[in-house]
Amino acid sequence: MKKNVILLSLLGIIVIPGIALAASISGKVVFNGKVPGLKPLDMNADPMCAAHHKTPPMVEILVLGDGNSLANVFVSVASGLPQGKTYAAPKQAVTIDQNGCMYIPHVFGVMAGQPVVFKNSDGIMHNIHALPEKNRQFNAAMPGTLKETSKMFDKAESYFKIKCDVHPWMGAWARVMDHPYFQVTDKKGIFTIADLPAGTYEIEAWHEKLGVQKSKVTVGDKESKTLNFTFTAPSK
Amino acid sequence: MSSGHHEHSEQQEHHAEPGFWQKYVFSTDHKVIGLQYGFTALCFLFFGFLLMLLMRWQLAFPGQALPVIGKFFSDSSMPGGIMLPEFYNSLGAMHGTIMVFLGVVPLAVGAFGNYVMPLQIGAVDMAFPKINMASYWAFFVGGVVMLVSFFVPGGAANSGWTSYPPLAELATTGQTLWLLGMVFLITSSLLGSVNFIVTIIQLRVKGLSFMRLPFFVWAQFVTAFLLLLAFPPLEAAGVLQLMDRLAGSSFFLPSGLVVSGQLMHNSGGGTPILWQHLFWFLAHPEVYVLILPALGIVAEIIANNTRKPLWGYKSMVYSLIFLGFMSFIVWAHHMFMTGMGTVINAFFQTTTMIISVPSVIVLSCLFLSLWGGSIRFNTPMLFALAFLPMFGIGGLTGLPLGLTTTDLHLHDTYYVIGHFHYVVAPGTIFALFAGIYYWFPKATGRKMNEVLGKLHFIGSFIFINGVFMPMFIQGLAGVSRRLFDGGASYYHAGPVLKLNVMMSVSAWCLALAQLPFIINFFYSMFAGEKVTSDNPWQSTTLEWATPTPPPHGNFTFTPEVVRGPYEYSVPGESSDFLPQYQPVKG
Amino acid sequence: MMLEWLHKLGLPPVASVHGVAVDVAQAGVHWLMLVLFVGWMGYFIFVLFRFRRSRNPQANYQGVKSHFSTYVEVAVVVAEAVLLLGFSIPMWRQRVEAFPSASQATVIRIVAEQFAWNIHYPGPDGIFGRTDPKLIDLTSNPLGLDRNDPNAMDDITNVNQLHLPVNKPVIIHLSSKDVIHSFGIPQMRIKQDAIPGMSVPIWFTPSVTSEEMKKKTNDDKFQYQIACAQLCGLGHYRMAGYVTIESQEAFDTWLDEQGAKAQTSGDDAFWL
Repeated sequence: MKKNVILLSLLGIIVIPGIALAASISGKVVFNGKVPGLKPLDMNADPMCAAHHKTPPMVEILVLGDGNSLANVFVSVASGLPQGKTYAAPKQAVTIDQNGCMYIPHVFGVMAGQPVVFKNSDGIMHNIHALPEKNRQFNAAMPGTLKETSKMFDKAESYFKIKCDVHPWMGAWARVMDHPYFQVTDKKGIFTIADLPAGTYEIEAWHEKLGVQKSKVTVGDKESKTLNFTFTAPSK
Repeated sequence: MSSGHHEHSEQQEHHAEPGFWQKYVFSTDHKVIGLQYGFTALCFLFFGFLLMLLMRWQLAFPGQALPVIGKFFSDSSMPGGIMLPEFYNSLGAMHGTIMVFLGVVPLAVGAFGNYVMPLQIGAVDMAFPKINMASYWAFFVGGVVMLVSFFVPGGAANSGWTSYPPLAELATTGQTLWLLGMVFLITSSLLGSVNFIVTIIQLRVKGLSFMRLPFFVWAQFVTAFLLLLAFPPLEAAGVLQLMDRLAGSSFFLPSGLVVSGQLMHNSGGGTPILWQHLFWFLAHPEVYVLILPALGIVAEIIANNTRKPLWGYKSMVYSLIFLGFMSFIVWAHHMFMTGMGTVINAFFQTTTMIISVPSVIVLSCLFLSLWGGSIRFNTPMLFALAFLPMFGIGGLTGLPLGLTTTDLHLHDTYYVIGHFHYVVAPGTIFALFAGIYYWFPKATGRKMNEVLGKLHFIGSFIFINGVFMPMFIQGLAGVSRRLFDGGASYYHAGPVLKLNVMMSVSAWCLALAQLPFIINFFYSMFAGEKVTSDNPWQSTTLEWATPTPPPHGNFTFTPEVVRGPYEYSVPGESSDFLPQYQPVKG
Repeated sequence: MMLEWLHKLGLPPVASVHGVAVDVAQAGVHWLMLVLFVGWMGYFIFVLFRFRRSRNPQANYQGVKSHFSTYVEVAVVVAEAVLLLGFSIPMWRQRVEAFPSASQATVIRIVAEQFAWNIHYPGPDGIFGRTDPKLIDLTSNPLGLDRNDPNAMDDITNVNQLHLPVNKPVIIHLSSKDVIHSFGIPQMRIKQDAIPGMSVPIWFTPSVTSEEMKKKTNDDKFQYQIACAQLCGLGHYRMAGYVTIESQEAFDTWLDEQGAKAQTSGDDAFWL
């Protein structure tokens, strides 16, 4: 017991300075423009899905919070990381739930070699049809009785779609990263990319419908910078 | 007789004795090749049957983990013992493929045809012994390719044994191996069929005119023509589908395909219907390839065990030839629901009704052959007799499927599954069992055990009907075939869903009912009752004139045929059978 | 009587005009089968008993001398000819040639895909809008409808929910986006493959509403369904569509609602 405490504190001494030195970039993503009248998802195609929701959920191409904060934006470091450095993939899995005939989360990132666990909370048949270009495509059925299945993407790859062929409206976007500096905005539009070494970075913000924005930012040791993005719908 | 056998083997020893490999593995002796075909095909039949037992678990208890056995399967097929739909589809496709192309046809044609036919025509061997060996090994390689396909990523082919594009062309690697395997199997059948045709035409012993041929030889003769003429289109189609999958051609793919919401980048301009025409141009005659040898075996056994000639031998032969011819012009009745005009539809309905006539004639002749007989109920005869009503049910249920009006409701339902299984399972496979029990003494010198044989028969007969009879009910209810959950997703399947459990239990009992056969087979091979005569069934045909088992070269004398094949109970004769080769008195 | 037996066995109640004739043929052909089977079996069992070796030790070389079997065969041929010429061929002609005029029918397109049925109503103008596979988006535009085409403005699409008015002929233009599917509604006695690259029309007249059928079957859960009958991949088994047969008024109301729903998405074409 005592030994463990000593070990832990030793570990702390080694690790904490690393964190203390690291910089972070955080910010908020907002949507600017006329909010369109979006349709609810029509789940009548499968009555079991429709029965799951008291009020039909909205389509997920534009999910806004208070003050038009924009969710489901994939924010990541596009360039500026030390050349040639590789990052180990975490062993902990990213979990995607199939719940109410929707994918939760709708946008996610995963590192190459990191497991992805697909859960089936619905207890009805879904199939996970992943459509990457560089990684191996797969189309795996999940009968209602199968509660979860684990998959993995081996290579870094830009945004691609994952869909369910049984429920055509079900779609999720995935990106496979070769470094851990990325986050997807929540409903408040907030993101934080922490633990960065000091340097100048190009930060990319991507939305499935509104496209990509990039911005350069320089951070020093222990520095925290704020970087905001504003997306607008294109005018006709 | 047994001394004759001895003499012959001594003679053999003076020749250069072939080594083990040449004698048992790369043999050119039609009998060894026949036995190789037989063993391999029986193994594949058993394997294909096991696939079905797995499917029946899923159908009876959809989505529930298979106890005990389930955990031996990989996560890509049955994670935690729960079967995945893609694996179910693989099982379905491979069950069909293996049963037809690796089980029944090799057993009916490769094994029985190879072993019995040259003996029955008094030949020393097949016309082309080396081609015969090549045929077996092409079959073997095809079988290995099919088995290997279970272990590639994505598993074995899962687009049905019919491999309809575009589904089959979008499928995983297993489909490529399926196509390659089929190329080997087709090559094997083509080599075999040429050999059969030449052998039957050229190597008949003196006096054996066509109208004195045993009916079994006739059946093999017509079958060989079907194989020879029907398989090439499928071989071509298989290569085209391979090109579509591997070389980016679009023989079977139309333009503008959108798969999973994404526009496919293929050249387009093809049509999936073309595949269906090419496939069924083979696969309908193929149905008769499955049936005719079975009819041949049943005819031999019925004549022998009623102790009287076949009734209407000539009309049976003519019907057989007509059947073979007609089987080439009915193929599109498998495609009634693809959008046909009145004229072409009327044509294929009419040919389909016409082909039922020779089938009815052959079956009637076999039924009528029983009248006035002195019927011995031994195991081969029981299986041969059971074949008649079972094949009858299979044939009769073909009627509502052959008429497009009624087919509108029944097409692609379990009614179809019931129909063709009655033809092939309690039909053909029963006949094949009959053949095994009947010719076993010739090949081994020992009889199979009668008690175990009858046990095998009774169990099989009861449970096989328990499997297939309810399928007609499900079909009438409109339950589609190839459903992973056996129809649980559909309202109209509700009332007949519970039959799935009964059918599955019957299937598992049917598996248990095969145990007496397996035990009997191996026990009798080494310790069965030895036959005391070369002709233990007191039969009239030439295969019984050889020593037991027949040596290389078959006959110890040069037989000459002086009469028809089934001269049983000839009035005024002291013996109740007059072999074809027994010289005329006086 | 045969029809009653078939219904007892599992044949679902019929719900279309031509389906009644299909059932008559079904009963007819099953009569033929039954008579032949029972006849042959009676003979078979008798023979096995009468000519067993212990009872008949000496076989008769001649066997049967009567021509009875020939008469049976001729009778079979005649029965088959009646079914073929009297029922089946005329019936098929009616199915594929005697289409009702489009003005007197409900005309729809159905495009199958793995694993759903896309239903396309032309809307009040009665003209289907242009579609283009490049425009397909599975969430918002599964049919690839070109919303800039004036004919497409009022088109109504949905997935798996087929509503039809009762007692009015329906013409369905059937096709597929990806692989071969098969469109079947068991109670309507209708089935047709949906084949990519082809558009095949079928027609039928539903004669019993969903509500009436619930009463008739004494089951509140009764549901007409589109059943996929052709293996189309791993989701084949649950590629069910839902069919509602209703009065013309109820159908019109539903269609209007659907039309209104399609319009609420409003002016912003970008988000479609």
